[in-house]
Amino acid sequence: MNELLLQGLVNGIVVGLIYALIGVSLNVIFGVLRVVNFAHGEFIVLGAYGAYFAQAWLGLSPLLALPLIFIVFGLMGYGLYFVLVKRLARSNDPEHASLLVMFGLSLVLGALMLLAFEADARSLNFTLDPPFLMFGNIILPTTKLLGLAVAVVVTGALAFFLYRTLPGKALRAIIMNRDAIQIVGVDLNHLSALTFGLGLGLAGITGILVSMIFPSFSPFIGQDYTLIGFIVIVLGGLGHPIGAVAGGILFGLAEQTAMVFFSGTVAMLLGFVLLIAVILIRPAGLFGVQNSR
Amino acid sequence: MTDQAQETREGTDVSLSAPQGSTEKSNHIKFLIWGIVVAVIVAIFLPAPLFASNLSFLFYMMLWLTMATSFNFVAGMAGYMPFGYVAFYGVGAYATGVLYKTFGLPIPVALAGAAVAGIVIGLLVAPTLRLKGVYFGIVSLALAMAMKLAISLMPSEITGGSLGLILSAANNPVAAYYAMFIVLLGALAAGTWLSMSRLGTALRAIRDDSEAAEVVGVNVVATRLKAWIMATMFPALVGGVEAWYTNAIDLDSSFNLLVTAKSIVYAMAGGLGFLVGPIIGASALYGIDQLIWRHFPTLNLLILGVVIIALMLLLPRGIVGAFAQRFSRFRRFIP
Repeated sequence: MNELLLQGLVNGIVVGLIYALIGVSLNVIFGVLRVVNFAHGEFIVLGAYGAYFAQAWLGLSPLLALPLIFIVFGLMGYGLYFVLVKRLARSNDPEHASLLVMFGLSLVLGALMLLAFEADARSLNFTLDPPFLMFGNIILPTTKLLGLAVAVVVTGALAFFLYRTLPGKALRAIIMNRDAIQIVGVDLNHLSALTFGLGLGLAGITGILVSMIFPSFSPFIGQDYTLIGFIVIVLGGLGHPIGAVAGGILFGLAEQTAMVFFSGTVAMLLGFVLLIAVILIRPAGLFGVQNSR
Repeated sequence: MTDQAQETREGTDVSLSAPQGSTEKSNHIKFLIWGIVVAVIVAIFLPAPLFASNLSFLFYMMLWLTMATSFNFVAGMAGYMPFGYVAFYGVGAYATGVLYKTFGLPIPVALAGAAVAGIVIGLLVAPTLRLKGVYFGIVSLALAMAMKLAISLMPSEITGGSLGLILSAANNPVAAYYAMFIVLLGALAAGTWLSMSRLGTALRAIRDDSEAAEVVGVNVVATRLKAWIMATMFPALVGGVEAWYTNAIDLDSSFNLLVTAKSIVYAMAGGLGFLVGPIIGASALYGIDQLIWRHFPTLNLLILGVVIIALMLLLPRGIVGAFAQRFSRFRRFIP
C-alpha cells in the first residue's frame, strides 16, 4: 500500500508539473492581457499534433521539435493578438468578452482539428533506451522523467525570464499596474502581443510534453486540459505565474494519489472539490492578493 | 467604470431628474411593447401543434428562448456569467428521469421535482456568488463538471449508468410541447417581475455598483439570491421537459457545454440586460443555427465558433444593445 502511495505521489509530481505548465501559460496570458484563454487546451492538443507531424514528416524527435513548435506557436500568438485580442479591450466587460471569444476559438480549433486529423486518438512513437527506471519498487518510465526534466527547465527558464530580464519585468509590471507602465514608456501593444505569443508558445510546448507523458491525444480532449488549467490557476491565484506552479503540483498530487485508491472519475471529482474548498476559504486563490480587484 | 455602467447610470439619472409623469409614461410604453412581444410569442406557439408540421423546430425554439431568458436573469440583470449553466439543465433532466423511471412518479410530479432540484443545487452553490468576475465563471464551470462526475458515480440502478435513462413509456410530444410552452411563459413572467419591479431596479443597482447599492439600503445578498433562484429553476425545468420530449437522458448530452454556450450566445446576441434581448437573439440565431445544421452538418461547430467570435468582436452589446446605443432617445422605452 505504501509503495502504491509513493508511486502515486511520484506520478502526481510528474503530472502536476505538466498541469503547472498549463497553468503558468494561462496565467501569463490572463495576468498581462486579462484574457481568459478558453482555447488553451486546443492549442495544447495542436502542439501535440505538431510534434506528431514533425516526427512523421520531418523525422524530428519531440525534443528537437520543442524549439520549432515554440517559435511557430509564438508567431501565431503574436498575430492572433492583433486579430482577436486587441479589439477586446474596447468591450465594456473585457474579461467576459475574452472568455466568450476564446470559447468561440476553441470550438473553431476543435472542429478544424477534427476535420484535418479525424477523430481517432493518436500517440507519439517515442521510446528511450531503457524504457523505464526502477527506484526500489517505484517504476518511472524514462519518457516521463524526460518530460519532467523538460517541464522543470521550461518553468525555470520562464521564472528567470519573468524575474531577471527586463522584458520579463516589464511583463510583470503590466500585471501589477497597467496604466503606470505606459507612463514609463513601455510599448503596451507590442509587449501584449509578445505575451500572447509567449503564452501560446508555452501551450505548444506543453502539448509536446503531454504527448510524451500521456498515452494518447485526440481533437476532443482540448477542453479537458483547458478545464485543468482553469482549476490550477484558480487554485494558485488568477494572474499569478508562480502560484500556478503550486496549484498545478497540488492538483496533480491530489489527482494521482486519488487515482491510486479510487477511480479516475473520483480523482477528477476530488480535483473539483479541492478547487471549491480552496475558493470558499480563500476566494482569490492560494497566492492571490485578496483585494486586488 | 465601464461604459455600460456609465450609460446605465446616465439613463437612471435622466429618468430620475425628469418629471414623474414622464417616467411613468415611458414605463407604460415599455410595458406595452413587452406586452405585445409576449402576445406575439403566445400567438405563434400556442396554436402551432394544430397545423405545424415541424413541431421539433418550435419546441427547441421555445427551449432556447427559455434558456436565454433565464440566463439573462443572472448575466444581464445581476452581472454574473455562470459558465456552468448547463449544470442546472442536466440536474433537471436527471431529476425528472430518476423520479419518473426509478421511483415511478407521474411526469408532472417529476418535473416539479426537477424544479426543486434546480433550486436546491442553486442554493448549495449560492456561496460562490461572492466570487467576482471570471472567478465566478470558472468555478461555476468546475461545479458543472463536478455535478456530471457525481451523477456518473451514482449507482446505475438509479441513474442508468453510462446508458442513461429511457423514458419511452411517457412518450407524448404534444404534451411535452405544451409543458415547454408553460415553462417559457413562466420564464417570461419571472423576467417581467425581475426587471419591472423594485427588485429589478435593485438588481441593476447591484450590477452597476454593489457597494453603492448597499449604502442606499439594498439588501445585496437577498436580492441576488432571488435572481439566482429564478435563473437556476428554469433551466432545470427545461432540462426535465426536454428529457420528456426526447424520452432519453444521458450524461454527455445533459451536461454538454454547448447548452451553456448557446444560452450565453443567444442571450448576448440579442443584448444582455434587456427583456427582449434574449428573445430576439434566440429567435434569430436559433434559426440560423438550424439552417447551418441542415446544410452543413459537419461544419456546425466550426460555424458556431466563428459566429461567436464575430458577434463578440463586432456587436459586443448585441442587437438590442447596439440599437439602444445608437438611438439612445428610445432606450427608456425598450423593455
